[in-house]
This record gives sequence, structure tokens and C-alpha cells, in this order.
Amino acid sequence: MIQVMNWLSMAIGLIPLNRQLSQSNIVLDYAMMVIVPCLYLGSYLGIILMERFGLPYLDACNSVCRLSNNLFMHLGAFLYVTITLLSLYRRKQFFVEFETRLAEIDVVIQKCRRVAELDKVRAQAVKHSVAYHFTWLFVFSVFIFALYYDSRELYLTFGEYAIIPFMVSSFPYLAGSIIQGEFIYHVSVISNRFEQINKLFEKINQEARHRHAPLTVFDIESEGKKQERKPTPAEKAAATKAIYSNDPKLADELKRQKALPAKQQNEDELNTSDEEDDDIFDYNEGMMEENTDTTSEANLPDLFKLHDKILALSVLTNGEFGPQCVPYMAACFVVSIFGIFLETKVNFIVSGKSRLLDYVTYLYVIWSFTTMVVAYIVLRLCCNANNHSKQSAMIVHEIMQKKPAFMLSNDLFYNKMKSFTLQFLHWEGYFQFNGIGLFALDYTFIFSTVSAATSYLIVLLQFDMTAILRNEGLMT
Amino acid sequence: MSQPTPMVQPLLMQFQQLFFLSKLVGVLPQDLDKFRFKNVLEKSRNGMVYMLGILMFYMVLYNLLIYSFGEEDRSLKATQSTLTFVIGLFLTYIGLIMMVTDQVTALFNQGRLGDLYERIRVVDERLYREQCLVDNSSIAKRIRIMLLMTFVFELFILLSTYIMLVDYTQWLSVLWVVSAIPTFINTLDKIWFAVSLYALKERFEAINATLEDLVAEHEKFLTWLNGVDPNDPIEDRAADDSESQPPQYDSNLEYLYKELGGIDVGSLRGSGSKGKNKVSPIAHSLNSFGESIQSPRKLLQSNTTPMINMAHESELSNATKVEEKLNNLCQVHDEICEIGKAMNGLWSYPILSLMAYGFLIFTAQLYFLYCATRAQSIPSLFRSAKNPFITVIVLVYTSGKCIYLIYLSWKTSLASKRTGISLHKCGVVADDNLLYEIVNHLSLKLLNHSVDFSACGFFTLDMETLYGVSGGITSYLIILIQFNLAAQQAKDAINSFNSFNDTAGLVGAATEFGNESSSLFDLVTTTMMTPLN
Repeated sequence: MIQVMNWLSMAIGLIPLNRQLSQSNIVLDYAMMVIVPCLYLGSYLGIILMERFGLPYLDACNSVCRLSNNLFMHLGAFLYVTITLLSLYRRKQFFVEFETRLAEIDVVIQKCRRVAELDKVRAQAVKHSVAYHFTWLFVFSVFIFALYYDSRELYLTFGEYAIIPFMVSSFPYLAGSIIQGEFIYHVSVISNRFEQINKLFEKINQEARHRHAPLTVFDIESEGKKQERKPTPAEKAAATKAIYSNDPKLADELKRQKALPAKQQNEDELNTSDEEDDDIFDYNEGMMEENTDTTSEANLPDLFKLHDKILALSVLTNGEFGPQCVPYMAACFVVSIFGIFLETKVNFIVSGKSRLLDYVTYLYVIWSFTTMVVAYIVLRLCCNANNHSKQSAMIVHEIMQKKPAFMLSNDLFYNKMKSFTLQFLHWEGYFQFNGIGLFALDYTFIFSTVSAATSYLIVLLQFDMTAILRNEGLMT
Repeated sequence: MSQPTPMVQPLLMQFQQLFFLSKLVGVLPQDLDKFRFKNVLEKSRNGMVYMLGILMFYMVLYNLLIYSFGEEDRSLKATQSTLTFVIGLFLTYIGLIMMVTDQVTALFNQGRLGDLYERIRVVDERLYREQCLVDNSSIAKRIRIMLLMTFVFELFILLSTYIMLVDYTQWLSVLWVVSAIPTFINTLDKIWFAVSLYALKERFEAINATLEDLVAEHEKFLTWLNGVDPNDPIEDRAADDSESQPPQYDSNLEYLYKELGGIDVGSLRGSGSKGKNKVSPIAHSLNSFGESIQSPRKLLQSNTTPMINMAHESELSNATKVEEKLNNLCQVHDEICEIGKAMNGLWSYPILSLMAYGFLIFTAQLYFLYCATRAQSIPSLFRSAKNPFITVIVLVYTSGKCIYLIYLSWKTSLASKRTGISLHKCGVVADDNLLYEIVNHLSLKLLNHSVDFSACGFFTLDMETLYGVSGGITSYLIILIQFNLAAQQAKDAINSFNSFNDTAGLVGAATEFGNESSSLFDLVTTTMMTPLN
């Protein structure tokens, strides 16, 4: 499905060809991105300047039809031009950077999964739910219907020149929707990564529940104090050694614990050895961890870094697609309001009298519905991604509340988790999916637009159309 | 920066041209000579008198303008609709009010404004001590661009309106020039605010960049360590040990040299690399300058000899040393936040008046444009609305001012929030217990320092307000146009009724219809219209 959308957007010149290769032929890549906008501008200016092939210049088109068609056309032009300019400005760098960062993240996630032994469950993970397919099918059918309706009507009116008015009527909205589709895709990728991280966190959380019992044996206080006292890692290492030698009871306990999962740990050690080597210099936790029956809390630092990286990736994505959201949402809003207005004030009263008028009103309704569906999906996914990222912090708090062994035995983990949750607070204040700060992309946006639309509609519905309709001879 | 005593260039040095201009047209009362020689803003009684004089002069001129151009309005009052007339009356003085607010606030704040820039200078010095240098040279360029744009817009609006829409055969029409004064003065004042805000934003970004640099350096350091010895922890331990003895190997010296050169050359010319903060050497590493310079890669190749002296240093691996640095950075952050608040306080009334002006003028200009396209008469002060192209320029100019300020405040606020994230990155990358404690502590502190810009506390200056305001403008516009339409229809109805009534009175027929609509006539006359007869 995603592939189809990508091909389509390459075909109509919204994203460059070979977008993931940093080295390729520039002319080939950007050819479509230049040709299609030129085609569009050609037909737009041609219709305006030559006054041909446009609905407003037909004799059958009355004043209401002309006004609404002009509005639709100019709004589309505004939408398409801003979106195309932003796409051209973005070029390939974004896609390349997104992919590289995503690859980095995936590598770390894979590593963490291996540590957490989740990779055996992986095989069935890529199965999408029924709702997913249904949504795609629904969106596709809505779009195909919209395009079919528009092109059929235009073909009946203009014959073989129908492509020219089509370029200015439906095409801009199609292009805008496809760009939003790209946004949806990127956000869903991000959201998916958040979900995977949450699974890993959840694993740690469950383990913490199981490990709760034996930790009473540890002499937490004395150990904690000893560790606090240590100024340099080297001394720390010496001291930890001292603990083990001085405290045979503890060592016994540790051994006993270690014996249980030893079989699993063998493989784990192979995998984790390199990363623990990095760490061993700064804090000698490698040793500690191996002793205290770790399977997946060793993931924690990586997971924290991952969370941070994914959020940084979201900032990047939002920076690229957020500005394109603004004209799209504005166009969606205007088209919807005028769609309702025309439907109630014109179509209810005089439907069937003039074919062109009917066509224009239905066009408004169809495209308002289509754009609303796309906008809703965007908002939903952004909201989901936000919630998933929030959930990580919640799970970490839960882990902290359970006071697992690895946390109590070592201040470092406690501080690390605290640091993570604090950092998340900062992130929350700093970032949310938004359209260049004008509005947050979540459900509150729906509320605010609906309330705004209601007040506009109340005002608009007061317009008295009967006189105009009577003048046009549509009403007696 | 060549002299040892002033470590950093004061920010005000970049404001030279702007200050002379502001002084000339009476935006700021501060002392000219003191500014020229010492780059400080100080109170000046002469300046105050001069400014008050200029203020009175402007007010007299503006009133004269309103009086002389109001003549046309008075004759037109009968024909134009009440709504247009009332709006025109309301907005006649708004430009003047805005200008007077700016100037009076500047008079009241003349002492405090100097303090503000002094505080920024102190912050700069502290940042410099933390090896984080802010490049001010781009600010002068920014000011120049803004001034240029102001001149272009003002001149374009003034001249095109004068040539196309003012009857310049009368000598009194020269007074039209006065109509540009309030906006010009207001823009100058706002340039001061905008540029200072931009400077604050740069400071925040410099702090963030320093923290990110620390992280990047540490990451490099870690990879370097791995490169040296993947399998021998003892060697690492040794390096670790020696690291606790502080002063020996402090930085990648090549890097340092480059930075030093950059500072010496770049900052003297004041042109250096723009917008980038530079990390300058810390004081106690100076003594190791004479030693041989070796890149870490060379060292990596010859790793058989454990040359610990030349290790790739990262400050983050030394928690005690970095604690002080982070602490200082946080304090500076707090101080910048405080400066931001103080600055917002100084300009709160001017910003409020600017926002009110922007909102009202934007709505009014669009409404008058609508009226003009319907061939209705509009108040003479808003004659620029008669031409759509000039209207567009006016709207771009007015909204540009407001939106730029809002955008900048939003960005500054975001940059200040970003610091917390960067700080945590330091903690995560170093992964050291002590450092985590420091970072957590400081992070809580940072959470409480927030700088949010607001107009007198009425609304915050961020993009969401802009969204709300644009919605407000649209809905008001729709309502205004609706009323205008209704008034127009009522007027047509009355006109036709009057003519009908005259003929009907002569004929002496149609009594019931006359009764019915005369009540409508009364209603409309009392509510909507100025009396026609």
C-alpha cells in the first residue's frame, strides 16, 4: 500500500525519484518535480488568461457556479503552489537523513530485542490488523470515486480537453492529500518504533515483577553509601570487588541467582559484550550487571537513547511536513464550510436545474469529505505517536515504583530512570506534532475547527440566496 | 576582544546606526555621546526634552492632518454608511495612540534599558568564560536589513498613495507625509525589541550548542577509546586512572589551535563564521600549547605505546569538572530567562498597542477594501484601501511586523526549552552516576525557568495566538461584510420606497403598503442609518 502511494507521489512529482540514494542523476530525479508543476501552472494561467476551457467561461455557468468554481480553483492553486514549493525546498536530504537515522534506530532496537529475547516472537509481528486494510481500502475507494466523478463530468463537458480543467479542479487536492499521505507514512513509522520501545520497556517491567522476591537479601544501604563515596571509576571498581570479597553471603546469593538463567545468558553475553565494553570505561556496571542476573535491564540506557533519537526524528519529520499541513488544513476547512453552505442553500433548493451547478456543489462535497478523511488520519496518527511516547515514560515510572533489584542495588539505574523521565518532561514542553506552532496536531484541533466552522456557518447561512437564485432563473 | 579587559564585544556596538536614527526621530531619549564612545545607554535630560518636543510636534502635525483631511469626510458623512463612519472614527487615532505609547514607554524606561544591555554584556562574559562565544556580527546585518525593509515599505506606501490617491494640487496635501510617521516610529521601536530578542535567542542557542558539542565530543572520545583497545580493559583502566589527575591532557590540540586561530582572526574582523558559537580553549590548557601537536588518528596507529598524555579528552568524563560548567550554564540560562522577562516587561505596553493596532488595522483595511470595491466612500485616512495592490503592501507590512515578533518570541521560548533536552543528552552519553545526579538536579531547575513572552499578560506571544487572531479577523470580517450588505439593501429599499412614496403621495393611493413599510423605514433609520432627510 505504502509502495503504491510512493509510486503515485513520484509519478505526479511530489517526491524525487530515487529518494533514498544520495548519489544519483539530479536531472532524472527532479524532472517530474519540475514538469508537473509547470504543467499545472500552464493550465492554471492558461485558463485565467485565455478564458477558455474553464467552467466559469461557459454560458451554462451562472453566477453562483462561477463564484464557487473560482473559489475552488484559486484555493487549489494556493494549496498546490505552497505544497510544491515546500517539496522542492525539501528535496532529497530529508528522505536520506530519515532513512539513515531510522536504520541506526533499527539496529539498536534489534540489539535490544536480542538482549531482551523478544526476537523469537518477531515472526508474527508484521501482520496488520483488519482495520489497517480496511482504512487503506476505504481511503483508496474514496479517492478513486472523487477522481472518477470529476473526470467523468469534465469529459462530458469538455471532451478531450478535459485534462486542462481537471488539472485545476481536482489535481491540487489530490497532490495535497498525497503529501499528507507521506506525512502519515512517516509518522506511522515513528509511532511503530515507539511501540517497539514500549514493548521492550514492558518486558523490563514484567521482569521487575518476577524479580521482586530475592532482593530483600541485599544490604542496600551500605552498598549505596559505599558507591556514593567513590569519586573515580577505578576506585569504584576496587570497592565493588571489595564488596564481593567481604560479603560472601551476598556473593552466594548472587551465584545462586545466576545459576538459573545461565543458559540464556550465555548467548546474551556474546551479544552484549561489545556494548558493555563501551560502558566499562565510564562506569563499571558491566561487572555489576553480569553479577546481578540481568537479562533486559541492560537495555535501559540504549532504550533511553533510542527514545531520545526517535523524538529527534519526529522533530525532523514535523519540521518537514508541518508547514505543508497548514495550507492543507486551511483548504480542507474552507472547502468543507463552502461545501455545507452550497449544499444547504443552493443544492437543496434548486438541484437538478443546472448540471454545471450540481457538478460544482457535488465537487465541493466530495472533496471536503476526502480531505477531511485524510486530515483525520493525520491527526489520529500524530496523536497516537504522542501517546506512545508518553507511555514510555509511564512504564518507566511503573518500573521505578516496583523497586526492582537492579535499581535498588545501584544508584546509577535509579538516576538514569529519573533522568529519563525528567528529560521527557522537557520534551513534552518542547515538542508536539504541530503545524509550525499554529495548532497542535491532535484531537483538540478537531474541536477548535469544528467550533470555528459552526460559528462561520451560522453567519454564512444567513446570506439570503433566494434573490440571486431568482435572478439566475433557477427559482420562480 | 584583542584588549584583555573587555572580554566580549558589548551587544550595543552593533546598534550604532539604529541608535543614531532612533535618536534623530525621537524614539529613544538616551545620551548620544555616551553611546558613541562607551557603548552604553544612559539617561539624558536633554534627550528627554528633545524627545518630548518631537512628540508634541508629531501630535500637532497629526491632528492637523486629521483636521485637514477630515473636511472631505464631513461632507461625505451623509452618504456613507454609519458602520464605515464609526469604524473610521475609532481608528483615526489608533496610529497616534500607538506612537505615543511607544515614546512615553521609552521615556519611562530610559534608565532601565541601559541596565538590560549591561546585563546581556555580563551574560556574554560569563558565557565566554564557559568557552561559549556568541557571534554578534550577524546582528548588525540583521538591523540593516530591517531598516532597509522599513524604508522600502514606508516609502512605497507613502509615495504610491500620495501619487495615486491624494489630490496633490493643493499644498495642504503635503501633510499626507505625516501619516507615515506613527508607523515608522513604531517600527523603529520594534526593531530594538526584535533584535534584542534575537540576541537572547542566539544566547540560548549558544548554550544548547555548547551542550551538544560536549555530547559530540564525548561520543568521539568513546569511539576513539574503542578504536584504541577493544579487548583490553586494563589499558582503559589505566587511562581512567590517569584521568583523575586533571591538567595533563586537556584537549585535542589541533582542534584547539584551529579554534584559537578562528577566534583571533575572525572576531577581530568581526566577520568570522556567522551564527556559530565557538568553543575557545579553557584557561589551564594553555600551558600545554608548546607541546607537540598530534592528531588522535596518528596516536591510534601507534597505539602500541600507551601515550596517555595525549588522550582524546572529553570533559564529560570528569564529573566534578563538568559539574561546575553545567552549573554555570544553568545559571546563565536562568539569567537569560530573567533578562527575557525584564525585556518583555519593558516593552509590554508597546507590544500590546502594536498587536491591537495590527488586529484592528488589518480588519479595517480589508473591510474598507471591500467597501471600495462596492464603490462606497471610505474614510479619507484609509484611502490606501482604494487600491488593492497598495492594500496588499500595507497588510504585508503591518502583519509582517506583528508576525515576526510573535514568531521570534515563540522561537526564543522553544530555544530556552531545548536546553533541558540538551542537558539530559550530556547525562545520557556520559552515563555516570554523579553526572546523572547533577543533571537531574539542574533539569528540575531548568523546568522551572521558563520564558514566555506575553503582551501585558493578556495573551502569550506564540503561534497559537496567531492562529486564534487570524480566526478572529476572518469572523469579524464576515460579520462586517454581512452588516454592510444588510445596510446597503436597506438603503436601496428606502430609496426605492421614497421614490415610490413620492409618486404614491401624488396619486394618493397604496395606503396599506405605505403603513407597513414606514415602520420598517423608522426601524432602519433609527438603527442603521444616518438620517437622510
